[in-house]
Formats: sequence, C-alpha cells, structure tokens
Amino acid sequence: MSNGANVNESNMKAQYLTFDLAGEMYGVEILRVQEIRGWETVREIPNTPDYIKGALNLRGEIVPIIDLRVRFMMENVEYTPVTVVIVLCVETEQGSAIMGIVADAVSDVLDVNLKDIKDKPNLGVKIDTQFIRGMYVTKDNMIMLLNVDKLLNPEQFEGISEVMS
Amino acid sequence: MKINMPVTDKEVLMKDGTILVTRTNLKGIITYANDAFVEISGFSYNDLVGHNHNMVRHPDMPSIAFQDLWETSQAGKPWTAPVKNRTKAGDYYWVEANVTPVYKNGSVVEYLSVRYAPTREQVNAADKLYRELNNTRPTTIRPTGLAKLTKNIKEMSINKKALIAAILFLIPNVCSMIGSYQTQDMMHLGVVAGLTLVAIIFGYSIIADLLKALANSSDIFKNIADEKFQNNIDIDRKDQVGEFYRNLYSMQVKLNADLAYSKQVGAESLRIKQALDNVNSSVMVSNNNLEIIYMNNTVQAMFSNAEADIRTQLPHFDSSKLLGANIDQFHKDPSMQRKMLATLSSTHNAELNLGGRTLAFVANPVLDNDGDRIGIVVEWLDRTAEVKIQKEIAGLVNAVKAGDLSNRLELADKSGFFESLSEGINELTDGIDQAFAEINNAMQNLAMGNLSSKITADYDGVYGECKNNINATVDKLAEIVGQVRESADFINNASREIASGNNNLSERVETQASSLEETASSMEELTSTVKNNSENAQEAKKVSTNARRLAEKGGDIVTSAVDAMAEINESSNKISAIIGVIDEIAFQTNLLALNASVEAARAGEQGRGFSVVATEVRNLAQRSAAAAQESKTLIQTSIQKVRAGTEFVNETGTALTEIVTGVKQLGDIISEIAGASIEQSQGIEQVNQAVSQMDEITQQNAALAEEASAASVSMSDQSETMTSLLGFFQTVEASAGVKRAALAPKAPSAPARAKAPSQPAPIEGARIVASSDDSDDEWGEF
Repeated sequence: MSNGANVNESNMKAQYLTFDLAGEMYGVEILRVQEIRGWETVREIPNTPDYIKGALNLRGEIVPIIDLRVRFMMENVEYTPVTVVIVLCVETEQGSAIMGIVADAVSDVLDVNLKDIKDKPNLGVKIDTQFIRGMYVTKDNMIMLLNVDKLLNPEQFEGISEVMS
Repeated sequence: MKINMPVTDKEVLMKDGTILVTRTNLKGIITYANDAFVEISGFSYNDLVGHNHNMVRHPDMPSIAFQDLWETSQAGKPWTAPVKNRTKAGDYYWVEANVTPVYKNGSVVEYLSVRYAPTREQVNAADKLYRELNNTRPTTIRPTGLAKLTKNIKEMSINKKALIAAILFLIPNVCSMIGSYQTQDMMHLGVVAGLTLVAIIFGYSIIADLLKALANSSDIFKNIADEKFQNNIDIDRKDQVGEFYRNLYSMQVKLNADLAYSKQVGAESLRIKQALDNVNSSVMVSNNNLEIIYMNNTVQAMFSNAEADIRTQLPHFDSSKLLGANIDQFHKDPSMQRKMLATLSSTHNAELNLGGRTLAFVANPVLDNDGDRIGIVVEWLDRTAEVKIQKEIAGLVNAVKAGDLSNRLELADKSGFFESLSEGINELTDGIDQAFAEINNAMQNLAMGNLSSKITADYDGVYGECKNNINATVDKLAEIVGQVRESADFINNASREIASGNNNLSERVETQASSLEETASSMEELTSTVKNNSENAQEAKKVSTNARRLAEKGGDIVTSAVDAMAEINESSNKISAIIGVIDEIAFQTNLLALNASVEAARAGEQGRGFSVVATEVRNLAQRSAAAAQESKTLIQTSIQKVRAGTEFVNETGTALTEIVTGVKQLGDIISEIAGASIEQSQGIEQVNQAVSQMDEITQQNAALAEEASAASVSMSDQSETMTSLLGFFQTVEASAGVKRAALAPKAPSAPARAKAPSQPAPIEGARIVASSDDSDDEWGEF
C-alpha cells in the first residue's frame, strides 16, 4: 500500500475520506478505509486506556474501536444517530491490523492533489506530531490529514498515553 | 246544858306531839287558846276568846262528866279524863283533857287546860263509859255506898292511919302486958312494955318525918307552881327522902332554867312584836287557818283609815275587829284566795281593789324550825293616793296627746313628791301650750297670706329649732313669692311675645305649604324620569344577557379551535417522525454511497464509473438529507406556530371567559340599576307621600300656630291673673313696693307702675306691641 501511496503521490492525486470531529475536519486515505458503519454498542475490553472503547465483531473479525475524541483529549460528545465508526486497515512493522475509529460524522470523499498537501506545523521535537500526514486547505476550511499507521500503531498507544498523561 | 249541833261521824285526829292549851277564867270563859287548839277546833281565835268553853263541847259527852269536872275544879283540884270535843264543822276529836287550877299568891286565879292525844284504848274505854252514863243518867259518877267507904278508907289521912295502926299494934301488946301483970311476970312485962315503947317512938318518928317531908314538898310544889323557884331543899340526906329531895331539886332547877329560857324567848318575841308594832310598813300575820293573829299599828291605822271606803264594798268590814278574824273577809269570793294561800310557799304579790281603795300586798309564808308553815305574813300598802295621781297624770297626758292643752293638774290636794311632779307636768304643758299657740298664730298669719309675721319669743331646743324653721319657712316663702312674682311678670311679657311670634309662624307655615306644593310637582317629574331610567335599565339588561350568551358561544368555538390545533400539532409530530425516517434513510444511503466510493477507489480505474455513480448516489442522499432537514425545520416551525396559535386561542378563551364574567357582572349591575330605579321610584313615591303629608301637617301646623297664638294670649291673661293672685301675699318688700318697680327697668312708666302695682298688665302689653318688630327679626333668624 505504501507503494501505492507513493505512486499516488507521484501521480499527484489521492482520494481522502473526510470526517467531522468536534467541529473540525480530519481526513484519512480512502484506500486505508475498510468500511464505514453507523455507531453501534461495542464490547468493552477491561484494563485498556480510556480511548479504547471496546471491540466489535466485524464478519468474524474482532476489531478494536478507538474514540479519537478521547485519544485527542477532546471534550466528550454524546453519540448521535450520525456518529459513525470508520474501520481502517493499519500497516505496521508487525503486519497489518484492522481498527475502528469513532467520528462525529462522515463528510465526503475528497480528491486531493498531493502537492497541495501542506506540511504539518513544526512544534519542535518534544511534541509528537508524527500521526499528522499534513494539512489540506479547501475553499471553506482546513482539513488535517491523519497518518493512520502512526496514529493507530498499537505500539504507540502506551507511549501516547504516557505522553498524554 | 248547851248542846252544839249539828254533828258528823267524821273524826279529826290530833297530831302526835301537839298540845292543845286553853286558859279560862273562873267562870269558864276562854281567855287564851293556842294555835293548835284554834286549828283543830275550826273556830277563829276571835270566835273562841271571850266565849264560854262549852262551845267546843260534843253532845255525846255526858253532862255529868262536866259537872264532875266543874266540882273538882271548884274544889281547887286538877281533873283529867278523855273528852270528846266537837269542831265548828260538827266533826269530833278525842283528847286527854287535863284541867288544873292556877294559883296566884295562894288563891286560884284561873284554870289551865292542857290536852294530849289519847291512846286508842283510852278512847274506846271512855266511849263505852260515856255511852253507859248517857243511858243510865246517874246523879254522880263518884263512888257511893261500900265503894265510897273503901275509897274513904283508902284515902284516909296518914295521921289517922298511923293512929289506927298504933292502936291496933298496942291492943295485943297491952293485952299481953295485962296478962303479964296479972301473972306478975314483971320481967316479961318490962320487956314487952319497953319494946312497945321503942316501937311506938320509932314508928312515930318515921311517920312524923315522912309527913314533914311531904308537907315540905307540897309547899315547894306550890311555890314552883307559883313560879317561886328559890326553895330550901335538904339534898344532903342519905335516905329515900334525900333521894326524893334531890330529884325535886333537879326538877326545880330545870323548870327554873326552862322558864327563864321561855321568858327570854318571850321577851325576844315581844321585842320583835314591839318593833313590828311600830314600823312604818303595814304588817299582818295570820295562822294557817288564815286568821289574823297579829296586826301592827300601821296596818291598824291603814285599815281604820280605809274603813269607810271598804265598807262601801264590804258592808260588814270592821277595822277594830280584824284581829282574830279571817283574811277571807277581804274578798267577796275567798275560795280562790284561800286555795292560793293554802299552798303558799313563796312570795306572792297582788293588789286588791276595795271600795275605790287600791291595796297592794305581799304575802310570805312563815316557817318553823322544821320547815313547816306555821303562818303567813302579809305586808300591805295603800296605793290609793298614788293610783289616783297616776290616773290624773295619765288623763292629762292623754289630753295632751289628743291635743287638748287646756287641762292642768290640781295642786291643792297634793304634797311632797306628787306636788312637785304635778307642778313639773303643769309647767311642761304650759310650755307646749305657749309654743303651739305661737306656732299656730304664725301659721294662721301665713294662711292669711301675711308673710311678715314671725315667732319672736325665745325658745330652746326643739322649740327653738321649730321656731327657727318656721321663721326660715316664712322668709323663704316670702323670698319665693317675690321670685314667683318676678317670674310671673316675665311670663306675662314672654307670653305676649310668643303670641306675636305665633302669628308670624302662621304666615310662614302658609309660605311653606305653597313651597311644598311646588316640591310635589317636581317630585312627579322626577318620578317619570326615574321610571324611564328603570325601563332603559331593563333593556340594557336584556342586551347584556345576549352579549353574554354570544360570548359564551365564542368560548365554545375557541375550545373547538384549541382541539383542532392539538390535532394539527399531532399531525405535525407524525410528519416530523416520517421526516426523521427519511433522514435516517438518507444517512444510511450516504454511508452506503461512501462505502461504495471506498470500494470504487479500491477498484482503481475499474471502479471509476462506479465511483461516479456512488458520488451521484451520495449527492442524492445528501440532497434527500438536506430536503428532510428543511422539511423537519419547516415542520418544527409549523409546530411552534401551532403551539403559539394554541396559546393565542387559549388566551382568547380566557379573555372570552373574562368577557362572559364581565358581561355577567354588567348584567348584574344593570339589574341592580333596574332594582335601584324601582326602589328609587318607590322612594320617590314615599317622598311624594311624605311631601303630601308634610303639606297636611303644614296645614295642621298653621292651625296649631293659630291655636298657639290664641293660647299664648290666654296664657298672658292667666299670667296677669297669677300676678294679681300673688298680690294676696303681703311681704315686706311687696308692701314697700320697691321690688315691683325694679322689675321693669325698661318700662317708660316705671314710676307710675310703682305707684299702682296692681295694674301692670296694660303697660306690659303696650311694651310688647311696641317691640313686636324686634321679635319678628328674631323669628326670621329662627
């Protein structure tokens, strides 16, 4: 897949699925999207960080669900009828894994020219910004494009939590 | 011989221990009888004393017995026998009679009879003997014949008996001596002769001695009977004669002492009697038979003084014969008095009215040492004079009480206390008489209208107070009459003023009547206006009722509108729910389209067309969602509008309810106005009636005012009459005429009126007429 991305980068075009989280727009590579589902109650997993809401049975595969609001230490919002779970395919050094993220609403499929992707803001070494792929600016607003592999790397979970706490 | 009849068979027994004693003179007339004898005999002391003793003799006694008694007594010897005596009532009693002559200087001066109670044997024997004697009627009861001889021998003198004894003694001795002489036994002769001589000498000396002692004793007894107690008695002899002498001596001493004691007691009694004789109280003593046994000098004098008066009621009364008489003679009917006195045991006070005399007496029992009553002592007091004065004073006091002050007590027949008392009472009556005369005089003057008359004499106490009060009354009356006179004048003036005032009043009342008529017509107009009001109010009430009904209908419509709104609301909600479903479908479609886009992207170039379709689908879904969103917004706006509409409609309903209430209140108020109008019209009708009554009353007032005018004129006349009547009272001021002149200082003719005070009326009237304008002004203010 990384190769595809590179190809897409070089081809100058890629499709991003944008979603709404706390009023701000975020985007993930559409090719990483496995499925988009409406929110349904998940099986809770004990002894996990707060942002891991639980697990979901997705056609026989157990998929952990992560609430990005909690992950990004945002204000907690009630789940609404438009709350969705976006199932993503994460590529790590250990292999690929499937994980779901909870978003307030799914917005659109965006065709992005790679050159239009702005670098992520430089905040120094101390602050971890590696899960941000870059920023894409549209006519209306500024969309933060997320690096799914970095964001949903299970190895990072503890570290993030440590950094966060 | 005296025979006392009648007799009864009733025996009166003598009490043991009593002694009946009488003394009679030598002719048998009783000179003394003791109380016991008087009591048992039934006669009074006066009946007995001075009469022959044979009055107590019983016819059963044989006369020969009294003959014997008489002969024995005449012979100077004592006599004793049981005797049956008769009481005054004819009863009989037995006594053992002892009659003895009493010697004085050797000769008999009187006979003393002492009687004891006999034993029953004595009585029986005597009774038997007397019956025999009465039957046989012998000439003597003394023994005759042999009995007399025996008795003579028995009673022969001792000397003769001694001589006979000596002779009888000498005869055998002499015979013996003669025999001895014949035998010449000289020895025997000498012994016999000597012994005989000695015997004779002894015998003689014994007899002589005894006789001498007897004679001596007899003399001594005679002396003792003659109350000579200093007799020489040989008490030293040792023989029987000495014993006899000693006893005799003892008797003499004892009798002497007893007699001395009796004399002393007698002297004491005499002293008391003498004292009683001379005390000032009238004292009388009676025995138990109520016979007067003692009267002192005072009572004697009292009764002799009152004798003439007492005789008018008791013709046989004799003050000189009271002693020994019975107390009964003071009473016409003595039985009650007797009964009372018979049981008298304590002091008894009473008063007797005898022939105009008032005799008060106090009776007390006299008791002996054993507590038995032996008599009654009565103290008398002649209260006649006292009672007379008492009556006189009572008469005077009653006369004074009845208002007759002309009587006075007679002073001439009074002395001492009663005189001064009478003088005092006369002075008292004089005082009252004088005071009342003055008061009477003053009151008479007052009655005549003279108010200047006063009591001038000086009096003390209540009289003084009375005098002052009467004088004050007269003064006050004079003052009041003066004031009344003034008042009468003022009344006179005032009544004239009232008369003119009444005339004005009458005119005014007429004016008032015409005003009232006008008022009545105005009131009628007012009545029609009010009636119109009332009718209009009824109309308004109907209108308001309609309005109310309409408002209520509006309320119903509003309720229906509210219901319809609610239904709209419900429908909107349903639409909203449907739109929600559409929205959901749009969302799901969007998701599906997104997933399709994802799949298309994954398919790469092959999926490009599919991607376009997915995008189109997503656009449709998004448009659906937007349309649903718009519909939802619209529906929600609609719901909000409907809600606001409902609120408006509810408010309208509330407003309509308020309108209904308001209209109802309006109706009520209009009803009240209608009712008030009716009441008003009724009230106006009443006012109308009142006005017409007022009209009537005003008419009557006019009549009354006229009457009052007439009355005030007559009152004026009356006050003039009163003024002239008051002229009846003659006070000091009235006679001086000063007060009247001062009464009318305004009057122009004051001096003239002062000269002629009896004619003030015309002048007063003139003054009233002159000042009538002023009074009119006053009425105008009123």
